[in-house]
Amino acid sequence: MTDDNQIIPLIRDNTEKGFRLLMAKYKEPVYWHIRRLVVSHDDAQDATQDTFLRIFRSLSQYSGEGSFKAWIFRIATNEALRLLGRNQGKITLSLDDTPQLTLNMKADEYFDYGNAEAVKLQEAITALPAKQQLAFNLRYYDDLSYKEIAAVTGSNEATVKANYHFAKEKIIKYMNTNN
Amino acid sequence: MEQNYDFSKIGKQMPYTVPDGFFDKLEENVMNEVKAQPVRKKAVTIRMAIRTAIAVAACIALFFVVKKVLPQGQNAATDDFEKVELAFNNLSTEDQDYLLEVYQEELFLENDLNELDNEESI
Repeated sequence: MTDDNQIIPLIRDNTEKGFRLLMAKYKEPVYWHIRRLVVSHDDAQDATQDTFLRIFRSLSQYSGEGSFKAWIFRIATNEALRLLGRNQGKITLSLDDTPQLTLNMKADEYFDYGNAEAVKLQEAITALPAKQQLAFNLRYYDDLSYKEIAAVTGSNEATVKANYHFAKEKIIKYMNTNN
Repeated sequence: MEQNYDFSKIGKQMPYTVPDGFFDKLEENVMNEVKAQPVRKKAVTIRMAIRTAIAVAACIALFFVVKKVLPQGQNAATDDFEKVELAFNNLSTEDQDYLLEVYQEELFLENDLNELDNEESI
């Protein structure tokens, strides 16, 4: 897997080659991150495309300080929240809001009912407020550090740890209650 | 009472799926958009060249107008703003209107370019 420090200068030297490397590394993590938040495949596809176009247009604004991965996930998160907000008639979804997605999940064409445990876990996650979903998902699925998650959500490490803790407790309770 | 759940039973499995070949198609869609982007930057460059040309033309016009209007011996001080203002006041209404029109077009062009630059940087 290409290192982020090699991708950024390569994009400046050879835009197409560099951006292909960036997509090769991040298209799947970014799509799945967005998909876990917005649930619908079609919405996730739109938000992922918008994310990469925004990354391309904003690359010159990346200062080189801080995690490039966190910077990318921040843009992806903003796109997902904007899309969720639009679906609820808002400009963007607040981190304190809970997206109403349970019905979307069951209606989506690209959804596997076969794995009951996995379905249940996603039901538990999508019932959380956005800030707790982000803390849990970015830690559990994307292996981001608390510092990187704080950079994604624009908060601090202590807040992220608290959100992760609350999220995990609620998920455990849900998984046990419904077993 | 603290409860436990063994997350290792499920790991990172999810119930979400994607159509066959989805990620390849996604990459191509994005790359097609990305390839189209530099054209827009080129357009900005052309517009900036036009802006520069207009500004240079206006300066040259103003220089000759000022040189013609100012009395002998004062030409060396044409960079003095007060004298430029005086020269402008000595122009005919028609010439003043022409220069103001050029200046206003330059101002609107500047606003358009700023908007375009802002949009680029979002």
